Amino acid sequence: MIEGLFFLLFFPGLAFQVVCGLAFEWLDRKLLARFQRRVGPPWYQPLADLIKLFSKEDLLPKGANHLIAALLPLVSFSAVLTAGLYIPVAGFTPFSFEGDLIVILFLMSVPTLAYYLAGIVSLGVYSVLGGGRSLLQFFSYEVPLLIALSGPAILGQSWSVAGIMEAQTVQGPFVIFQPLGFILAIVGLIGKLKRDPLDIPSAKSEVVGGSLTEITGTKLGLWHLLMKVQAVVGIFLVINLYLGWLKYLPAHLSILVFVIECLIMVVILSVTSAVFARLRIDQLAGLGWKILVPLALLQIGFVILMGV
Amino acid sequence: MEKFKKRFSLLSAIIQAWFDKPETVGYPFLPLVLPEGFRGAIVIDPDKCTGCGLCVRDCPAGGLRLEKKSRDEFKLMHHPASCAYCGQCERSCLRGAISHSNALVAATTDARELVVVLKEKQG
Amino acid sequence: MRKITVPIGPQHPLLKEPLSMKLEISGERVLGGTLRLGYVHRGIEKLAQQRTYVQNVHLIERICGICSHVHTTTYCSAVEAILGIEIPPRAQYIRALMCELERIHSHLLWLGILAKHVGLDTIFMHAWHDRELVLDIMESISGGRVSHAANEIGGVRFDLDEENETLIRTNISKLHDQVSGVLDVIENEPALQARTRGVAPISTDLIRQYCMVGPIARASGLDVDLRRDDPWPPYDRLDFNVITHPDGDAWARTIVRAEETRESLHLCEAILRDLPGGDVTVRAPRKVPAGEAVTRSEAPRGEVFYYLRSDGSDQPARLKIRTPTLPALSLLPEQLSAINVADIPVVLAGIDLCIACADR
Repeated sequence: MIEGLFFLLFFPGLAFQVVCGLAFEWLDRKLLARFQRRVGPPWYQPLADLIKLFSKEDLLPKGANHLIAALLPLVSFSAVLTAGLYIPVAGFTPFSFEGDLIVILFLMSVPTLAYYLAGIVSLGVYSVLGGGRSLLQFFSYEVPLLIALSGPAILGQSWSVAGIMEAQTVQGPFVIFQPLGFILAIVGLIGKLKRDPLDIPSAKSEVVGGSLTEITGTKLGLWHLLMKVQAVVGIFLVINLYLGWLKYLPAHLSILVFVIECLIMVVILSVTSAVFARLRIDQLAGLGWKILVPLALLQIGFVILMGV
Repeated sequence: MEKFKKRFSLLSAIIQAWFDKPETVGYPFLPLVLPEGFRGAIVIDPDKCTGCGLCVRDCPAGGLRLEKKSRDEFKLMHHPASCAYCGQCERSCLRGAISHSNALVAATTDARELVVVLKEKQG
Repeated sequence: MRKITVPIGPQHPLLKEPLSMKLEISGERVLGGTLRLGYVHRGIEKLAQQRTYVQNVHLIERICGICSHVHTTTYCSAVEAILGIEIPPRAQYIRALMCELERIHSHLLWLGILAKHVGLDTIFMHAWHDRELVLDIMESISGGRVSHAANEIGGVRFDLDEENETLIRTNISKLHDQVSGVLDVIENEPALQARTRGVAPISTDLIRQYCMVGPIARASGLDVDLRRDDPWPPYDRLDFNVITHPDGDAWARTIVRAEETRESLHLCEAILRDLPGGDVTVRAPRKVPAGEAVTRSEAPRGEVFYYLRSDGSDQPARLKIRTPTLPALSLLPEQLSAINVADIPVVLAGIDLCIACADR
């Protein structure tokens, strides 16, 4: 019971995910700043931003549904945290069962749908536009992402993240066999996190703040926090599926390797957001369905052939 | 090869930027370096000023005020918040009395700083 | 699909200056829109009638924060034309130098804004970093980053010494590298091309109909440049290319402005090389005899037109200013129809609006 609570609240649950989220965000902002010849924020800036948002007045337009607007970030936050619980951290897996990969992917989709709903219930023109865009984007990246992520599952002959990691300790990291799948997973992850260059739903110059334009105060803080945690969960997931070969390393070494892998992922994400321009939504749909899906299918075909 | 290099020129630019020193100035924690000719706070040489009022006449922003009773009894005032820092007073002054220093004039919350008495001469 | 009306402005992250648009949007498609102007109207033309010619130099300078120097240059040459005085050659060259520096700074600023609007924040930061080099030159030679107060009636206020010239030369050569780096990036960045190619094209006919000027006209294949067509000295002695592009879309405008930046860098070097010696100012009387004058200059955004009528006093009787943004604004509603929502920033950035100039 107490152990369970510890898992839920501290490691690998709430506290750990939030701390990682803040750390990754700081690292990302600092890297981006240095790429752009700026100094960048001090280490406590993400936390300070969060505290500021939590202490601000909570407003909604007249006629908006307060209950749903408050529930949406809470539900998606809990979905993301739950997904985080099932993801092994440096080989440590408190809860794992056959098929948890599917549960994680399902839970990771909840924030996107909630984001769309937040745009609808908060009754702003920009929110509606942003919400519609987030769904369009969802349909563009989700399919190639799911096809790509089923690659490790087929190769590892398991639908649990821990199982896939175990298979990698025997066969070597899957990124070697599925470099294409790894790239597609990163593209999908960027789309899921609505990061630059796939920040179409929240593009400031086009739709102001996207779905969250009318959301303020604690709710906005919660939205930002859950997106940070979503980034952590996504990064951990991709690392475990493609670089998760450290199960049998000594404990301290495996933590070190895991941290280094996380840093590499953050650097990859920062560099992508620094060097690519935002696509138009029709261009993204074209990219998703005409290029990414065929590539993902190619990768799967290759994986199946390898399995045979 | 050349084309390939050009394709990734932005990538090489950000890598270059990573190794360069950041260009942002740490103001207000570090001193701000302003060039010599920067038009900042108005200063006056009281010995040269005769209270002729040429600077007041040409000031486009109404930043200078002269209360003059006679040649020997006048008060020249400057309103930093109205001043456009254009340098016209410096050009208009025949004796080179009034000029800009290169000190930045910051915003203020103190009402007393809104009027600076440049020269007060009593008969 | 249901039609919704989306307000853009007066306050919107897209706009750096206030401008109000109401756009009819259906899904991701913009059907059309209306425009409302006048948020930064300050009545400068009327104010100018109530101030002396000397004071007006500084008033005119504050019409615009980006192209302030070209406004004062045009105003001062109008006054000088009525007075019948000719400014010394060195002053002419320094005025032209400031104009070209201003063009570089305006185009780099514009490039950054375009990049920011399509999500390329890195180019935005890098272009604005390069722009700092120009602003450093301006600040150290004239004493102000944006309001240079370089002109006065009868010449310019400052002279260039050795130190200034070295600074300008080093910064210009640095800028050559930086600008060609940025040009490489924008010419080869596929996402930027995908976002700008074919967006909101303007035909040459439409350009003529709406009297468009400057880089927009040149990007639609209309070969106009006042620096060549109606030059004031020293432009008649300087050699430069007028950049045109046949396509007329946002991409063509990008290329034209980027190439113009490079051309202006060459012009700056040429001006420094040919800089004659002598005085930089002649004495001008305070009172201007009755008369009228029309002067034009090529600002970063196109033709700036000044009409000045004097009545013999020390205040102008009438000052009429026409800025290049005005025709661009009248074409804006047409450009903002039948495009994607995501193209709105590209269209707006492509025009390079200067609302402060247009509203005055």
